[in-house]
Amino acid sequence: MSALDIEALRDQWIGVQFEERAFELDAAAMAEYAKACGEVAGLYTDPEDPDFQAPPTFASSLQRGRGLPENFPQMPGLGMDAGKAVEAFAPIRPGPKTSRTHMHDIYTKTGRSGRMIFLVVRMALYDDAGTHLANADTRVVIREKPTGEEA
Amino acid sequence: MTVQTVRDVEFGEDLPVFDPDTTLDNVIRFTEAAGWRGPRFTDHEAARKEGLPGALVPGIMSQGFLCAMIHRWAPPARIVEVDTIFRAPVIVDQAYHINGVVTDIDEDAGRVEVDLTVTNDKGETRVFGTAKVDLPTAGT
Repeated sequence: MSALDIEALRDQWIGVQFEERAFELDAAAMAEYAKACGEVAGLYTDPEDPDFQAPPTFASSLQRGRGLPENFPQMPGLGMDAGKAVEAFAPIRPGPKTSRTHMHDIYTKTGRSGRMIFLVVRMALYDDAGTHLANADTRVVIREKPTGEEA
Repeated sequence: MTVQTVRDVEFGEDLPVFDPDTTLDNVIRFTEAAGWRGPRFTDHEAARKEGLPGALVPGIMSQGFLCAMIHRWAPPARIVEVDTIFRAPVIVDQAYHINGVVTDIDEDAGRVEVDLTVTNDKGETRVFGTAKVDLPTAGT
């Protein structure tokens, strides 16, 4: 099997939105999330707090559904969750939200064990007024099998 | 002492060590709240059948631990970015320690950067993180 053409993948897939979801954030679940993480301040743990909001990393928990676009090429190796990142722009509060997910980046790193392919999927989170609250990125890494290696 | 403004922060300062609650009960509580239910997170035997060393603390929970640590250190902190790299599994019911160190300060902008590591009792790093945090520039 020949190595994947990363430049062609980038040209075809970066920026492609493949999922949009509308959902409701529940205050009790947000508070439970915060307490389980070890938060102690009322603005994260008490839904009655006038400034109640989720810790920013709550955005990562909202990345559900399809992990990659439909018809995205089969990757030549086992994918593993390499990391997550959040950019927070405004507080995440209970109520209706919308998320839009797109392929944000595709890149490679080469080490002693061969080439690793990184796929970065970004979910952008908005409130019902259209305010962009946060981006949550998931990085999946695939160790590419050397040519000729059995699957 | 907790941090209230950026002027309370020193370059190279160590954050107070935070030992997160990785007990099975707490991980189940987290997965229920986050909607990330799955036997690999909530059942040691089921995880072992998948070839894992035990039930896993979800990566998004480790990410949440990092934020909680920053908020405990600096209650007024507004975390604007947090990036986590999962180097190795974090296993439920095992002890972990989170260390943090201040790596950059912009006093005018009120921005601080912090490196964070989740290590086990053997001192092995399981998760590495970086965060950018905004703090008030002066006391109110």
